[in-house]
Amino acid sequence: MKKYNLKTLWALFVIFFKAGTFTFAGGLAMLPVIEKDVVEKYKLMDREEFMEYATLAQTLPGVIAANCACFVGRGAAGTPGMLAAVIGSTISAFVLMLLATILLQLIPMEGPVSGAFQCIRAASAAMVLSAAFSLGQHNIKSLFAVIVMLSALALVLFTDISAPVVILLAGITGYAYKRFKNRGKKEA
Amino acid sequence: MILECLKLFYTFFKIGILGFGGGYTMLSMIMTESTEQFSITAQQLADLNALDMIVPGPIAINAATYVGYLHAGFWGSLAATIGVTLPSLILVALVMRFITRYRENRVMESFLFGIKPAAVGLIASAAITIALGVLLKPGASLNTLFSDPFGTISVFLAVVFFLAAFLNIRFKVNPILLTVIAGIVGAIWVR
Repeated sequence: MKKYNLKTLWALFVIFFKAGTFTFAGGLAMLPVIEKDVVEKYKLMDREEFMEYATLAQTLPGVIAANCACFVGRGAAGTPGMLAAVIGSTISAFVLMLLATILLQLIPMEGPVSGAFQCIRAASAAMVLSAAFSLGQHNIKSLFAVIVMLSALALVLFTDISAPVVILLAGITGYAYKRFKNRGKKEA
Repeated sequence: MILECLKLFYTFFKIGILGFGGGYTMLSMIMTESTEQFSITAQQLADLNALDMIVPGPIAINAATYVGYLHAGFWGSLAATIGVTLPSLILVALVMRFITRYRENRVMESFLFGIKPAAVGLIASAAITIALGVLLKPGASLNTLFSDPFGTISVFLAVVFFLAAFLNIRFKVNPILLTVIAGIVGAIWVR
């Protein structure tokens, strides 16, 4: 177990709280800022160790920002450090979203407000479609990907199979496909 | 109440542990699961997506908080948020304990090779479900979609939908700007 003190735990909380609060639409846009804080400002670890954690964080499933917080926190100060960092990285998203949700319920849905919300929802639904498009441009580049995408779409829309099961099946399919392809290469 | 919180925790834990590739994989599962398991409406999911644009933080945390609160109040939102975050703590602890140099990247990559296109399919299905739900005329039902499309779907909202999608996909117009404009247009024109 690495040595830690309250100052280190507080630093971890603050670093990831800042990153969580000022990141919009998720992702690792704040990575350079976290890196600067962790490596230069608070000197919790060297750059190489930090970059290894940041890379690992993206290969594990789950909220990438939380994965990153867990790795850096645990690397710098064991389990207490992991908790301080992960709470820092999630607390502001939780509190702000909770407030936003409660406020939204208080808005009276009548007259022009109701009209505004009907159109906001139509535009918002359009942004979900647009997200599917831009993700598709990045991720659908082979016949295999097209088949998996359409199968997932059909399974969720027309059967009772749940989304996590579809994702699990897709992961296994990807694994099996890669193994099959690599074996073919070796034999040739 | 406790049972509903446990159900939220369990579902969001599953989503977290299968969330390879990050936010959008999880959001795709959250949108599909919350309509089926937690009776969240298409309107509420559209609101969620709009809030996601303006509230900071990881989108999976935002979505868990929102769905949890609507389904079971404050404790529900806490249960869902802890559920989606806990896999990170467990997996990171396991990886750091047992694998000094993470050598399973190949396996992860091949999983992602299947999961990434599947997540696109799930997001597309969420887009279809949400769009059909929010474009519906008041009191109309989706059962009459093919027999009486103009009596079922609001043409005005459909125009807003396709215009917003077109402007964002083709010309990269800022999503927040588009949503605000849509709100103003709606307040003036829709009665």
